[in-house]
Amino acid sequence: MIGPILLGAAWTIAAITVLSLFCYREFARATGMFRSPLISTLVVCGLLTVTLAVADHWYGLFAALPALGFIVIASVAILSDQPKGYIQRVALGSFGFLLFGVCLGHLAYMANDPAYRPIMLMLLLCVECNDVLAYLSGKTFGRRKLAPRTSPGKTWGGTLGALVGTTVLVTLLGHHVFAGDPMDTWLRLVGLGLIISVAGQLGDLVLSSIKRDLGIKDMSHALPGHGGLLDRFDSLLLVAPACFHYVGYFRGFGLEQPTRILSGG
Amino acid sequence: MDEWRYSPARDLDLSSGQSLTSVRREAGLPTAILSGMRWLLVRGYLGLAHHLQIQGRHHLPHRLPLVLVANHASHLDALSLAAAMPLAMNRHMFPIAAGDTFFETKATAAFASLFMNALPMWRRQCGAHALEDLRTRLLEEPCGYIIFPEGTRSRTGRMAAFKPGVGRLVAGTPVPVVPCHLDGAFAALPPHRHWPRPARIRLRMGPPKAYPGVANDREGWRMIAQDLESAIHGLKTDSNPDS
Repeated sequence: MIGPILLGAAWTIAAITVLSLFCYREFARATGMFRSPLISTLVVCGLLTVTLAVADHWYGLFAALPALGFIVIASVAILSDQPKGYIQRVALGSFGFLLFGVCLGHLAYMANDPAYRPIMLMLLLCVECNDVLAYLSGKTFGRRKLAPRTSPGKTWGGTLGALVGTTVLVTLLGHHVFAGDPMDTWLRLVGLGLIISVAGQLGDLVLSSIKRDLGIKDMSHALPGHGGLLDRFDSLLLVAPACFHYVGYFRGFGLEQPTRILSGG
Repeated sequence: MDEWRYSPARDLDLSSGQSLTSVRREAGLPTAILSGMRWLLVRGYLGLAHHLQIQGRHHLPHRLPLVLVANHASHLDALSLAAAMPLAMNRHMFPIAAGDTFFETKATAAFASLFMNALPMWRRQCGAHALEDLRTRLLEEPCGYIIFPEGTRSRTGRMAAFKPGVGRLVAGTPVPVVPCHLDGAFAALPPHRHWPRPARIRLRMGPPKAYPGVANDREGWRMIAQDLESAIHGLKTDSNPDS
């Protein structure tokens, strides 16, 4: 992911689109959604529409897509005239669209900001460190289990260790990344650190819950030794929208940039 | 409301390479799109180059599972049978191909699985086990198989005796088996030729047969193979009275 970020905004958006398509593929194969080609087609079209909105810097469309996506999935699913399993198909399709289209789409949307490189690199680094810190402090201080039925390896010690470590790291890095803009206050940076740590660990637990429910260990075997792409990028799923809206509230993303580049208007 | 049931892909625990050569391979959206394109391409080619004529299509069951069984003289056979299926069923139809021919290298395995939608039948090792896996899948998924019970392409154009493996897939089950006779494929692309030549291909489908009352043992398998062999001989006689 670092390569495309350094190469440019278009590369970043393209790489995140490919990532979201592969993540959805893993999700669909794990849940059995891939056996509903109609819904899967709609979700894939939704993911591509998110890419269009992001590449076009069309925030109005981007903000409308969660609702529009749901309307389309829930409506078109009626056409097959198979009420048996309708709720499951629509719910899984909408869930997949929200997780991989909308949530990862927020990460892609950051590329519309001129200062996207340091922000995204900081996010990726801090999310990665958050995982490592949770593991290390869990090994060192972890006694009480956090959610033993969802993820037996996670402990309160690990969670709090990651919370403290990641918040410190984000505050220190953020001071340089956001130098001179409204995000550059200690309080706001501490808030960002807490959000990255909590959302990162929640994303991890979301995927653990999905896997426990499905009764599988890994989402796929795409990355030998790591499981699937989703197993690798799970922490980013919730971090991306949470950080986007938190940072966006104070400074916005790409507000000075031309909008609707492709579609005009 | 029923409880939600998740059924992950059968090949979820396999890597992409392993999945290509596994009978557990399941098609997703990209394969479904590829399958539709392949169907159009193959139908177009067979129609233009070989004037593919299909008789008895009304015998095809409208639902899966089902098995198409035919004589085998050419690589065009599986394509002709797959092209005869409706588009909606196409991606669920799997030609059963020799593993030691079509799935030995990564390139051939990718071609056989992605372009032909074939599943491997390993003849030299684990034959019984592979057949049992195929039988389980046929009943559970459900899906359809294209099978050539002679085991290999005829070198003379004449149909050889059927091997009992086909019986092992359907004995004691209600799965309909449609006997099919292909005529002209040998002339178009015999085993010794690398490229096909224009020649008419005629596919005749017979009424489906089912063997729910047949014992799932050697005797039952042999009986099913013989029954299907004679059914296809009958189709051949009907379709080509001069032979």
